[in-house]
Formats: sequence, C-alpha cells, structure tokens
Amino acid sequence: MNGYAGKILRINLTDRRISTIDTKEYEQWVGGHGMGSAIFWDLVKDKTISGFYPENIVTVMTSPLSGTLVPGASARTEVQGIGIQSYPIEWFTRSNFGGRFAPMLKYAGWDGIVIEGKADKPVWVDIRNEDVKVKDARHLWGLDTWKTQEMIWREVGGRGYGGWVELSSEERTTQRPAVLAIGPAGENLSRIACLVHDAGNASGQGGFGAIWGSKNLKAISVIGTGSIQIADPKGLMESRLWAQVKYGTDLKNLDASWFSKFGRRKPQNLFWDKHERARLQACIGCHQGCKERSDTGYGNESTCEETSFYQGYDKWKHGGRQTSAAYIAADLLQRYGINAYEASRGLTYIRALQKMGILGRGKRLKCDLDFEKIGEVEFADHYLKLIAYRQGIGDDFGEGFVRASKRWGRLEEDLKTGVLPYPYWGFPEHGYDPRAEVEWGYGSILGDRDINEHDFNPFFWWPSGAIWAGKTPQPPAEQVAKIVAEKLIPYENDPLMLDFSTDNIYSEHMAKLVAWHRHYTRFWKQSVLYCDNRWAEFINSKVPDYRGLTGDGEQRFFNAVTGKKFSFLDGMEMGRKIWNLDNAIWTLQGRHRDMVHFSDYIYHVPYGGSGNFSMYYLPGREKGKWDYIRVNGRCLDKGRFEEFKTKFYNLEGWDTRSGWPKRRTLESLDLKSIADELERNKKLGA
Amino acid sequence: MKTGKLRVPSNDLSKRVLTEVGFEDRLEGFRLRERSGPITVTMYSFAEVVSLLNDPHPRLDFKQLEEWIRSVMGDTDLAKHIAQAIKKGNNDQERTFSIRDLMEERLSQCGMEGHHEENII
Repeated sequence: MNGYAGKILRINLTDRRISTIDTKEYEQWVGGHGMGSAIFWDLVKDKTISGFYPENIVTVMTSPLSGTLVPGASARTEVQGIGIQSYPIEWFTRSNFGGRFAPMLKYAGWDGIVIEGKADKPVWVDIRNEDVKVKDARHLWGLDTWKTQEMIWREVGGRGYGGWVELSSEERTTQRPAVLAIGPAGENLSRIACLVHDAGNASGQGGFGAIWGSKNLKAISVIGTGSIQIADPKGLMESRLWAQVKYGTDLKNLDASWFSKFGRRKPQNLFWDKHERARLQACIGCHQGCKERSDTGYGNESTCEETSFYQGYDKWKHGGRQTSAAYIAADLLQRYGINAYEASRGLTYIRALQKMGILGRGKRLKCDLDFEKIGEVEFADHYLKLIAYRQGIGDDFGEGFVRASKRWGRLEEDLKTGVLPYPYWGFPEHGYDPRAEVEWGYGSILGDRDINEHDFNPFFWWPSGAIWAGKTPQPPAEQVAKIVAEKLIPYENDPLMLDFSTDNIYSEHMAKLVAWHRHYTRFWKQSVLYCDNRWAEFINSKVPDYRGLTGDGEQRFFNAVTGKKFSFLDGMEMGRKIWNLDNAIWTLQGRHRDMVHFSDYIYHVPYGGSGNFSMYYLPGREKGKWDYIRVNGRCLDKGRFEEFKTKFYNLEGWDTRSGWPKRRTLESLDLKSIADELERNKKLGA
Repeated sequence: MKTGKLRVPSNDLSKRVLTEVGFEDRLEGFRLRERSGPITVTMYSFAEVVSLLNDPHPRLDFKQLEEWIRSVMGDTDLAKHIAQAIKKGNNDQERTFSIRDLMEERLSQCGMEGHHEENII
C-alpha cells in the first residue's frame, strides 16, 4: 500500500484497550475525511447522540500524501466526529490543522487514530512507533496547551533540543514528539474549544477541544522513526520540480508572482503588522510557509483570524500603533485553546450589548469586563479567561455566542438585526458573507459548518483591491471566468458558474459551482489533504496564459505517491461519494430541507449598507457584459434561495422535498448499505 | 499629518469627538484581508474611525461617514471638507487618504494624536 502506513490506531478510553484497524478495510475511501466518515458510519450506531456522549468517536486521520514531499499536502490532519459547536443540531463535522502531527503519525506507523469512549480520569496517549500507552494526565490537567506540550516533550524526549530520543535499541530520532492538546477551554467543556498542536496549529471549528475534555483526554503525543513507501519516487521529485518551475514563486522576478496561491510573492498569512525581525515557518513538506517565528517570541505560528482578533482594538487604543497586545492576545487564544472566530465575533457582540446597556457591571447581564481597557492585554486575558474557565457570565460565553444569546433570550432578535453576525448553523460569519460571495454561504448552509475553503476568494481579492485604488483589475473578468470554467470538471466550460450577479446567484449554474466545490474539497482537500492555503490554484500570474496548477497537479502528485491511476475526475467523483455519505449522516441526525435557512438578517439587512462604495467585487455580468461587479449592498431573497435549493438537490440526485439522498443516487456511488440504513430509518429520499 | 484645513473646534465639539457614542449611533466599516474577506468593524468613537482609516485595507461608506460626522459628531466644518474630499477623489483610495488626514487633523486639534502608515495595495 504505497503512501500508507497500513494500519489505523483504535483507542478505547473507557477500558484503555488498544487495537488496530487494517487500513485496507477503508482504502476505497483513500484517506482523511473519506476514511473518517466511513469509520464514523460503521462505529457510531446511533448518530443522533450528543457530541459529548462517550459513544461519540473522534477520528484523527492522515492521507497517503502525509509525510511525503508533495508540496502543500504533507502536513494536514483531518479531525471528525459529532461536533458540539453547531446550533440547533450538533452536526457530524470536521476540522483540520497543519504542523507536524500527520507526518509524525505516519512515521510512527499509523494512518489515523480513532478515539472512543471516555476515561474515568484525565489521561494522555503516548505513541512511540508501535508502542501505545494511555497514561495518567492528572499532572497535566489545568495546564494550558503550550505547557502541556512542553511537559510531554520533556517526558518523552528529555530536556533541550537535538538530543536523541531512544524508541528502542534500533530506533532513535532527534525529533520532538508532535503533541495535540487541549487547554482550559477544552477541560471546562467550552463549545468553542480547540485542539492545539505546537504553538499555533489549531483544529478550531466543531468544538473538538471540549469533546476531548468530555472524554478526559488531555493530549496525544506521537513520535516515529519510520518512513513512507512511495510508488514512484523519481516521478514525485520530477513533479515537485515541474510545479516549482512552472507555478512556484519566481525568486528572480518576484513581481511576476503577484498572484498565485501555490507560488506566492508574499506567502505569509498574517493580518497584523508584521514583526520587524521574523523568519518564515512552514509545516512539514510545505514549499512556502505561511507562518512566522519572531525575535520577540510573541505571536509565533499564529496565522489568519487569530492575527486579526485583537489588532484593531490594540491599534485604536494605542493611537494607531500596534503594540505587543495583538500578538499576546493571539498567544492567549492558543494557550487557552479557544476558537479565534468565536472569540472575535463574540467580542463584537458583547460590546454591542454593553453599548445597549444590557451587559456590564450592574446590568441585566452581569459582566465585570472593563470595556475601558479594551485593546490592552489585561482586557484580552480577562475576556478569554471568562470563556476558558466559564466563571460568571463566562459560563454563557463558553457555550458559544449563539447559545449564550439563546440563554439571554435575545437570539431571535439579534439574528434578525444581524447584531449577532452568525449566518449559518450557529457559526460566526467569516467575512465572505453569504449575501456577497454566495458559494461560501451556500456551501456552509448546505453542509455542517462555516466551510473555510478559499478556492474562489482570489476573484474577490484582487479586483476589490484594484478598483478601490483606481486600477483596472487584470486579467479581465471574462478571461478569469473562462480559465476557471475549463477546470471545473465535470461541469467544465460553463463560465456562468462564475457569474456572481444577483440575477445568476440562484441559478443552476451557481448550483453547479456549489456542487463542484463540495465535491472538490471533500476529496482533494479534506481526504487527500491538500492545504487550503495553496490549493486549489486556478490562476497563476507567472504562467503566460494565467492557467494555474489545479486540474493538472492534484492527480499527478497523488499517483506518484500511491501508484494509482486516478484522474482529476475520479477524485471529483470520490468527493461526490463522500459528500453523499456525509449527507446521509446529517439526514439521520435530523436534517431536512425545511431547516436549511440562513439567519434572518441575511434576507433583510443589506450587506455593507448602501453598497455605494468600493468594497466587494466579483466576476459577473451586467447587461450581458462581463466585468468585476460590486456585490456589497445586497440581501439574499428567501424565496429564490428556496428555488436554488431545489435546483441543487436535483443536481445532486436528492429528494427535492426533503433534501435527503435517494437510493438510486447512493447505489450509483456504491453506497447501497447507506441507502438501506436510511430506508430503515424512514429517511430515504423519494 | 497635514494640518490647517479645519477651523479650531469648540470645547463642546472637542468633547464630542473624544467621547464614545451609544449603540444607535455606531458606524460600521470593514477591514479587508485576503484570507478572511471583509472583517466588519463596529465603531463607537471618532478615534476608532481614524484607526480603521489607517488600516492597509479599510472600506467605508464615505457618504454615511459624512452624515455621521455631521449629525452624530455635530461637526459641520469637517463634514463639509469630507464632502469635498469625496467629490475630488478619483477613487476610494484617494478619498480614504484625504478623509483620514482630515480626521487626524481634527483628532489632533482635540488633543489626541493619531498615527498613520502608508497604505499599500
């Protein structure tokens, strides 16, 4: 089995039983999410249980590419199980993170981990190649995620760096164990708690930190000395060099790489003002690196939302100058193990309630946060401690802000006005608002969570920047739509899939875009585990005709590692199969089309107010002519979204009345047993 | 910071500029980031607006801002200059810089220093 370690580790925390699953049993699902969903389906008989129940399992999966030299695909780890963040139903969900964990798990000889049951007291799992032990973690309970990892590093590898760790008389390494841990937020069962690995790699969405906390699982540590069999090592190296030369950053002419996901001129994914002295930090196998480590020691490895969480308050409070507060606040998020998006949008929300005179000292919602100190480290620490330790009103915050709002009797009203900016399933808005960039919102509401998949966002970023600055965005919208449409197999050559005009966003063209996106990400990004930061790449400014790597690269690397003969289309079809399996799980959990609605404000409050300013541009047609069109200032039409859902369900081969998968569709995907189970539960689409 | 365009504010106006407003008088803007999209920024003070305008990628409805300055802050002089900046600007980046400079000047007159770095696109 080229690319695979060959076995999956199964840990029952209730009786501390360690067993293995032969990876071959699930090889048809390839890896990552596909395998995780299939294992979940087989092992969790009652899919309607709460995520907090011991019967819920958590899968932690790698892919055949994990630990190899495939660029931007070596290091992601996929986490799945019934989540506890979504509302009103705790959907079966996913999250994933980078760093060193997936490669190290493969080097230790495991393709994944299945966590079952609940320990009777705090434990951690110590994996040293084949040797797996469930150990007492009472000395770790109460520590933050960084301290926990440091303690385990010492316990496994001794003090200092670069020394040998002896795993047996013939197996030793200078590596440190890769540790995935929870902090106080997870221990205290906050629904917005994360799993954190190294300084800043977090499995954030879904509340998996609290699920581990409920299982009394503090951490999993893994260290390995093995390697991975590659089917065609020469082909893999040639492919990497091909990608580097054709699509990678042109170091002699950086300006040529002004736009690319794969070969960026500025690879960092940081929103704050960068440190003066810092170096790039990358996940194992990555050709670029999106993180940094700085000489200050603050903010190391944090990226994306956690680097935005406190920056605005910090700069405002300090006369426009960013201080260390923004960095330290991000570090606190990592250490307590708290979801940055929830913390960020939640702070906006409670500040609004404070301004309304509802929340604060002596108010109906008693809260002793000193809002005068917002922007200072002291405030951030107090706020995040409330979430992590759930003291006072923090007990409500720890439920996530939708459930907190429900407790406060405000949910309906605040979702109507948009004061609580949570558009779908109790998840905070990401920024790619459903009213503007519809494929993001549609994908989220038709799924289980905020999708956090950035495949089409480049078509917002560069026109929105260029038009704001009075420049003409290049390449033109029509050319972009044509290039991308060529790559949208099996719906290829329909440029209207990229038309974000209001007339087109409820069309079958848009349904095809959403379906393509669901299928692509379910396989190539969440099962094969290509990183969202570098894939998909549709457009690359260095390539003379702008055509990016996607459609050529994914299967080339995959086949070099596995020796299989997968086409891009084969991958898309696998993605459709996995997407159908996930939908079958949600159907058993209670999903019905009647509940697939955005929060009220999405239908009633125009995005960005009047829309009469340069903010959000996407490709689209106006009076039959392609351009980058302004999409802020609009709402979604509820009735037309209903029509869209019907088109989408038809396209997927699902029952348009219920949204449930049909037998014919499932059997065409070799999922007869899934159809049988839905039928037994009277939930098979007609 | 460019200075000298605005009349010296009265004590009352200075106080209003330095005082946070209530929920109903809030202003919304956005900070754009490539990987997160537009991040909504809810602002309750003049200084917060200046801070947003100093972001590398700020987005704001300038007409709404002009109205906010006029009606909530009661600063007709600044509102008039903002209206002119909106009219004169060739694009929203130019408008952002002009309005930022004006608002920083006002903030400075009221006793609070702003700070800006060059916006880069």
